[in-house]
Amino acid sequence: MKISFPHMGHSFIAFKWLVEHLGHECIVPPEPSKKTLDLGVRYSPEFACIPFKILMGTYLEAEEMGAEVILTSGGCGPCRAGYYWVMHQYLLEEMGSKLKVVAFEPPMLDIRDFWKKLSWIRKSGKVSWKHFIEVMKITWEKIKAIDDVEIHSHEIRPYEINRGDTTRAVARALEQLDQADTISQIKEARDAGVKLLDELPRDRGRNPLKIGIIGEIYVVLEPSANHYLQIMLGEMGVQTHRSIYLSGYARESTISNGGEAIYQVAKPYLDELCIGGHGVNSIGETILYARHGFDGVVQLAPFSCIPEIVAKSIIPSVSRDFDIPVLTLFIDEQTGKAGVQTRLEAFVDLLEMRRQSKEEAARLVV
Amino acid sequence: MSKIGIPRTLAYFVYYPFCKVFFEELGHEVVLSSPTSRAIMDDGVKEAVNDACIPIKIYHGHVLDLANQVDWIFCPRLVSVRKHGEFGTETFCPKFLGLPDMIRLAIDKLPKLLEVRVDLKKGKNELFQVVTQVGTQLGNGIGEIKQAFAKAVKAQKSYSKLLSREIMPHVALEMLEQQTRQPPREAPYDLKIAVVGYPYVIYDAYINAGLLKILEKEGAKVYTQDMLGDKILDRQARTLPKSMFWYFSNRAVYGGLHFMNRQDIDGIIHVTAFACGPDSMVDRLLEIESRRRKFTPYLSITVDEHTGEAGVRTRIEAFLDMLRYRREKNED
Amino acid sequence: MKKAYLGVDVGSVSTNLVVLDEKGSVLTGKYLRTSGKPIATVQEGLYAIGQEIDQNLNIVGAGATGSARYLIGMIIGADIIKNEITAHAVAASAVARGVKTIIEIGGQDSKIIIMRNGVVTDFAMNTVCAAGTGSFLDQQASRLCIPIEDFGKYALNSKNPVRIAGRCAVFAESDMIHKQQLGYNSEDIIAGLCEALVRNYMNNVGKGKEILAPVLFQGGVAANQGLVTAFNKLLGMEVTVPPHYDVMGAIGAALLARDWAAKKGQTKFKGFNIQEISFKTTSFECKGCSNACEVVQFFENGELLARWGDRCGKWEMQAV
Repeated sequence: MKISFPHMGHSFIAFKWLVEHLGHECIVPPEPSKKTLDLGVRYSPEFACIPFKILMGTYLEAEEMGAEVILTSGGCGPCRAGYYWVMHQYLLEEMGSKLKVVAFEPPMLDIRDFWKKLSWIRKSGKVSWKHFIEVMKITWEKIKAIDDVEIHSHEIRPYEINRGDTTRAVARALEQLDQADTISQIKEARDAGVKLLDELPRDRGRNPLKIGIIGEIYVVLEPSANHYLQIMLGEMGVQTHRSIYLSGYARESTISNGGEAIYQVAKPYLDELCIGGHGVNSIGETILYARHGFDGVVQLAPFSCIPEIVAKSIIPSVSRDFDIPVLTLFIDEQTGKAGVQTRLEAFVDLLEMRRQSKEEAARLVV
Repeated sequence: MSKIGIPRTLAYFVYYPFCKVFFEELGHEVVLSSPTSRAIMDDGVKEAVNDACIPIKIYHGHVLDLANQVDWIFCPRLVSVRKHGEFGTETFCPKFLGLPDMIRLAIDKLPKLLEVRVDLKKGKNELFQVVTQVGTQLGNGIGEIKQAFAKAVKAQKSYSKLLSREIMPHVALEMLEQQTRQPPREAPYDLKIAVVGYPYVIYDAYINAGLLKILEKEGAKVYTQDMLGDKILDRQARTLPKSMFWYFSNRAVYGGLHFMNRQDIDGIIHVTAFACGPDSMVDRLLEIESRRRKFTPYLSITVDEHTGEAGVRTRIEAFLDMLRYRREKNED
Repeated sequence: MKKAYLGVDVGSVSTNLVVLDEKGSVLTGKYLRTSGKPIATVQEGLYAIGQEIDQNLNIVGAGATGSARYLIGMIIGADIIKNEITAHAVAASAVARGVKTIIEIGGQDSKIIIMRNGVVTDFAMNTVCAAGTGSFLDQQASRLCIPIEDFGKYALNSKNPVRIAGRCAVFAESDMIHKQQLGYNSEDIIAGLCEALVRNYMNNVGKGKEILAPVLFQGGVAANQGLVTAFNKLLGMEVTVPPHYDVMGAIGAALLARDWAAKKGQTKFKGFNIQEISFKTTSFECKGCSNACEVVQFFENGELLARWGDRCGKWEMQAV
């Protein structure tokens, strides 16, 4: 089968490897572009959120490239994303498309369905269970290694002396990871990538601001959906830390469902374990970033995202109580890069001034 | 004795008989907010978070309307009322789930919020636990609560019975208020139209610019999903690839699908509120299914704070004209 | 030679230029329509200012702000390039020490900036929706066939503003037409439009912000007395319109340039006579990787001055 999947940051490198090693042909989804968005907007309901529209466009582009099957994730609500595959399938059929959308529902809720779909992929790719499990393990290592490189790049970038050094090094590191086929090769490539970043010329005298990035998973994970916000901030000299990584997300949310801790943190403000998506996380993580001495938080959310709207209505109180500025960016197809950049620059200025006046106040006390 | 304010929106159209009887039996006074109006909507738009949907903004307005007249505002956290859906995880829309928190943080100088978490998927006895928590907050004893609960359940049952007699909820609420069993006389009609959507949109004459009245005047008898029993509705779940996650959305979808299968229904109108997240999918799904299932004529009406009667009327007149024209042609 | 500082603010609707003296007083200012041609507008504006000012002045620092700040910064040889929120805040606190709230409404966007102790503590900005911006009034003015300059006068003569509904410019327009059809007089409709704009502004960018006096109201539309009245009424406090309300962004850029000059050395400012220089922008798609970035090239008299737009930095070359 010719298989494709949603584009989410650099994860396609791992998923491409996975699909190919399960005996299928991989149609690598193109990075979401203006064309993707135009296609998606044209065929999606008006008030669907931006991830829905980007995915719609991605699927259509993948089909153009020959894809027959889309593998994606399901969900149990109350965020709309868990119903996306159903809607995408409906809309594709209406357009006369033959593309099939296959969604993996959370295994702890429906293990049989999960198992059935896995078996189908394994059998149609003609691989043994032993091989299948081995391939899964390696893919997981790849995902983690990709995240490791990216996490490190966001720490390094604000120190770079030549703009673009870090971004270029990340691209090289990912190329090596793309070539790695065994767990030990992945480890090597990962370490080489981290070393590459560490060896870049740096100005260690800088004292970068620290900003936490929170919000809805797709617009946080897919840089093209958020105008490469972390790179933009990094090049303004800001260290960013984001709450969601695919490796972390899969570990916490899909497999072990460990949302309880963050719920306890958010509880004084939002007394409900699951309002869907990352609504509770957005509140809890703002508090955690404040406690860990971050200078500010940027909340990224798709326009009309229900859980993030609930979060947004509560965050001003959190921001006041914990004395941490929060910038909310709602993203839709009309959001331009210039608007995002202006807001970020002003936000960084605000944080810089705050830090200066705090330092002055501290000096006066001494 | 306390004065308890109940906002005349969201769950009001579904659970009011229960709440009213329960509170009154406990010896409290129930104060309803005024029907939705321009002033209520403006207040709501002012207080609520900018990106919220119209119904949530209007809820804020109703809370403000009550703020100065009551001791408590009844603002339950509606999580679920049953175990439903592929994973048994059906809930209300996330905005219902965060509602008490949103209200508390958005509006200053509120009376006390009478809060309780309503999550009935956990089991049969859960509802009694819920009312016990509410009664205790109001200072009532367990004996009183038990009695009031029994009466409230009974009141809710008679309400359901009225609905199953194809009486519209807002009419049925009126009948309960006046303790009459006789519904007002039906206007003459020659078309049967199903209206599906959220109760707080289709029964609130202000939000939908008098849609039901217009239909009645134009010679249509209206059916809604709330006249159908759960069994009839839930049968439709099996005809879909997957249920949605939200209680009111599922009811609207199932109701729509049920009416599509019915020979006697001439057309279906889906009323949706501007910027409603779940409805972005409900609407497309119903539209596609209406084409796949025997081509039932389907009209979608989006209402928002600017909706004027003229706009709604024009659409409805055109829709009904089309249905009548179709019928004439078929009869020829 | 006396020292002076230049500030340029190029937005999508207007282009503003000011020259400040050492103390920060405005020596001269220009408010021009950008008309989609930011480069030509700045060239002409600079030339005109160069003719006006005292030939004894020496520009020792230049700043650029506004949505075209990077482009214009290169053209004039700006020493400092800052976003318009920071620029407005700097200007406002120089004009009114202790200002706590800044309302800024321009042609295509509107902002609110909250300041405490001279530091920006919160801000919001609106660019997508026109309902809370000046272009909303512009449109309605042309529909009513009343020059926008006279709007304020009309509004002040209203005894009974009409309520114009509308979160969105499109809806407000249809409601306004409806009110016209009902026969309301222009004064009441215009006052109603001003109140609608203020309401939209408060419901949009102003939502949830702690608005404390003193409040400064700046931006091109602050000339409109009807809006000032509407703000006073809705906020229940007096808003102040500073003398150079329409060029505050440019003043901020010039003040930032002054700060820069105090710390650093030689200005890069190219002078007032740059209208002879030809500036050109071209672009191409990089084929280096799958990103296919659109790389923009900027030429001065046929000479490549800068390149940007590539994500990896391969092509990038900042103006020297």
